[in-house]
Amino acid sequence: MTQGNDSPADGSPTINQPAIELSGITKTFPGVVANDDVSMTVAQGEIHAICGENGAGKSTLMKILYGMQSADEGTMRVFGDRVDFKSPTDAIDLGIGMVHQHFMLADQLTVLENVVLGAEPTKSGGRIDFEAAKAHLQEVSESYGLDVDPDDLVETLGVGERQRVEIIKVLYRGAKILILDEPTAVLVPQEVEELFRNMRELKADGATILFIDHKLEEVLEIADSITVLRHGKTVATLPNEGVTASDLAELMVGSELPSPEITESTVTDTVTLEVRNLTVGGGGDRPAVDDVSLKVHAGEIVGIAGVEGNGQSELVNAIVGTVSPSEGSVFLSGEDITRRNVRTRRESGIAYVPEDRHHEGLLLSAPLWENAALGHQTKPPYARGFFIDRAGAREHTETIRAGFDVRTPNIDVSAQTLSGGNQQKLILGRELTSNPKLLVAAHPTRGIDIGAQAAVWDEMRQARKDGLATLLISADLDELIGLSDTIVVMFRGGVVATLDPSDVTPRTLGAYMTGAAIESDDRTDDLKGTP
Amino acid sequence: MGWISSLPGWARWALYAAIGIFVLSLVQTLTGETTELTSVGTSQAMLRWGVPILLAGLGGLFSERAGVINIGLEGMMILGMWFGAWGAINYGGWVGLVVGVMGGVLGALIHAIATINFGVDHIISGVAINIIGPAGARYLSSEIFSGYDGGSITQSPRVPGVGKFDMPFLAGGDVFGWQSPDLLGTIGELEIFFLSDVANLTRGLMSQVAPSTMVAVALVPISWYVLWKTRFGLRLRICGEAPKQGEAQGINVYLYKYYGVLLSGALAGLGGAFIASPELGGIYLEGQVNNRGFIGLAALIFGNYRPAGILMGAMLFAYPFGLGLRDINETASHTLLLVTAVAMAAIALWATSKGRRLDMVVAAVMAGLCAAWYFLSDTVPDWWVNILPFVIVLLVLFFNAQRLRVPAADGEPYRRGE
Ligand SMILES: Nc1ncnc2c1ncn2[C@@H]1O[C@H](COP(=O)(O)OP(=O)(O)OP(=O)(O)O)[C@@H](O)[C@H]1O
Ligand SMILES: [Mg+2]
Repeated sequence: MTQGNDSPADGSPTINQPAIELSGITKTFPGVVANDDVSMTVAQGEIHAICGENGAGKSTLMKILYGMQSADEGTMRVFGDRVDFKSPTDAIDLGIGMVHQHFMLADQLTVLENVVLGAEPTKSGGRIDFEAAKAHLQEVSESYGLDVDPDDLVETLGVGERQRVEIIKVLYRGAKILILDEPTAVLVPQEVEELFRNMRELKADGATILFIDHKLEEVLEIADSITVLRHGKTVATLPNEGVTASDLAELMVGSELPSPEITESTVTDTVTLEVRNLTVGGGGDRPAVDDVSLKVHAGEIVGIAGVEGNGQSELVNAIVGTVSPSEGSVFLSGEDITRRNVRTRRESGIAYVPEDRHHEGLLLSAPLWENAALGHQTKPPYARGFFIDRAGAREHTETIRAGFDVRTPNIDVSAQTLSGGNQQKLILGRELTSNPKLLVAAHPTRGIDIGAQAAVWDEMRQARKDGLATLLISADLDELIGLSDTIVVMFRGGVVATLDPSDVTPRTLGAYMTGAAIESDDRTDDLKGTP
Repeated sequence: MGWISSLPGWARWALYAAIGIFVLSLVQTLTGETTELTSVGTSQAMLRWGVPILLAGLGGLFSERAGVINIGLEGMMILGMWFGAWGAINYGGWVGLVVGVMGGVLGALIHAIATINFGVDHIISGVAINIIGPAGARYLSSEIFSGYDGGSITQSPRVPGVGKFDMPFLAGGDVFGWQSPDLLGTIGELEIFFLSDVANLTRGLMSQVAPSTMVAVALVPISWYVLWKTRFGLRLRICGEAPKQGEAQGINVYLYKYYGVLLSGALAGLGGAFIASPELGGIYLEGQVNNRGFIGLAALIFGNYRPAGILMGAMLFAYPFGLGLRDINETASHTLLLVTAVAMAAIALWATSKGRRLDMVVAAVMAGLCAAWYFLSDTVPDWWVNILPFVIVLLVLFFNAQRLRVPAADGEPYRRGE
């Protein structure tokens, strides 16, 4: 808690006092120095961006500032007062709120319960005053245009809505300093714009915002100043004036970025994946996937564009076998796999990068080498006959670690100790090195820094050249346009357009995704289905 | 059938209970073999048998909602039974219950320290408690009960209770010395189909009951209120659903897990003390807990981790036991076979309407077997009613597994700041 004030001022926050002053913050984990003598100052009322490679120590620094982890060394001042947080409660008491990189919501609780937790208004006898809580929640959500239904169960919400709940949670407590750890990673461009509008409004109300982002254009658009971390050290703090994205990139990785090469088409005639008249759900409700047909050829990347919640997740689930479709069929290399279970599908050559790495991609408390075998545990090099091949699995994990630059002290640490981006790189490495026929990748570069992103794209292009068929789902329109050979737009569960990436821009694609272009474009019907 | 799922939990369960009683009275009337299926005595016996199961189930509820699996309930009940008997013998019935609660808390404290502080696997710790509980009780008996008149290493002298009463107006209890009318008794004697059966079964829950039983039943709505309406309950539940998230919002997860486990022990201890009280055994006797801790866990699962469901589960499991006690010539258990057949047939129909073919086949085969057994025999061996509760648990797990909502982080180790 606040330990008094050893500066000559009387301690009350004044306008010229910085909101946050960190000096000499050091934090080590077994085998890693996550923060190494970090110092930074954040002025009151500014939007301060923090950039850096995966594993640079950004999240760790923010968790220290929020009292979730304690620094080994260094001092923190909040509004001029020296603080020493024992737990998040102490930080919350001083008006600090944090939205975490991986959502911190309980799925089986309602939005209201999630929001009020820890700051419940109570009547006598410890009874929660749900009326008052709801009124306050609605007040907050209206004044910032953050629309949510307090009685919804969180598990029914999409990522955009979850993000809103997280922000409301922080605002509900009247936070004056907001920490947002990669808030835009899971959002589509329209949602990012909305978030930025909210952030500007908050700033106008006097809030101080710290936020982490890997997309440099976004940083340059919204931030007042930018701090760059590299290998746990502060490289620089710059005002957002005359800085370019490549300046930032150079500060982050220490060298210039490789520019993505132009590649020619490698599409072949062999159909690897065919989805025929697939419908998921329905029976009373509107089906989540509505009569979708598409083909992915060997050597082709088919991108699926769409605002979150328009059936992309369900389509992916039906292809990998985690839900069974109500109608239609799925063919892999001409074989009908509609009735096969997930394991046989994976064994016959489907690689899968799930959209939610924590729920579907990893066993957080298992070591990296076990995680590397996940989904491929029945095949060499992970297995020899009936038994797990420990040595083979470990060796292969080392290959993934080196090839995909997974930053970790060793492969025996648990997956939860990796930074978010490094967890993603491990999953990508596991899937891309499994010699698949088909790669189903949902948001493959989500949370990955720009350097690693370029490397992943190169891997995907290389695999495509070697005949891999890829179904790519992404909220990053530049990624979709840059990688895909064909783009399919999904809207309300159906395919509404099939486009050639060479003549679309993110703007026109966005119009298709929101359904705006459909009424005005009567060619859509001709384009429906695959060429 | 959508309207059923939109009902609040207690109303839904009341509806299911009414359907169950309807089937019982229908079968009983048609076969004319017995009247025990819906008698006051059966209902009284069911309640007495069900209370310890209920208390164990509620105990499991608090622990598992806080994210700690508690299969040590059995051991905690044994400690509760010993301490309850000791307290009651020395200081009277009510004190006995309180001391029993403390005995259960003692067992729970070990479980809490092991699982919460030292990160021991919850199952292993629970098994350990189930070994320590009876061993401790036996040791204490040899030290203490052996020295009492009528006591030995495996049993205590008679344990005093807390008295009994009848509910005024509904079951003819008296109000300050005045004998009130016995409304349910009157209806029961009219022998109207279904209505009198409901009256009899309800009257059994209200006549000659111990106040301690009333307390136990009152704990059902109290538990619901505490867990879903108070700040304490919300904070406890977050520890079972998403402890990290709770931590991020400033909740002291360790503290609330402790509360959950200790409350769990308190309820199990109360259940154990109840077993030693004259409501059931009337003495401490080794082995008397007789797996009720595990049956309580089954009631917890049957009730989908909610108090009203746990109550129903406890009563459903206790019903065959209660019936078995009353059933001298084994005709009632025999009739119960036919009831089971009807219930399985109903499940088969339900499964058909849901298009679940395997479930349908299994239920239909079981219905056929029960019916065949019924028509080919005149009596059934007494193990039949004793295994029925366990059969019901297996059936619930088989037919309802997908709908169960286990707290998401139940049984997961938790460390702050990881
Ligand atoms: N709980 C932990 N135990 C051990 N090591 C950890 C733990 N948390 C983080 N680390 C290590 O500290 C380093 C910094 O991690 P951090 O999560 O701060 O990175 P980051 O900058 O947020 O990266 P990203 O952009 O990928 O999210 C990483 O090398 C990571 O492996
Ligand atoms: Mg991070």
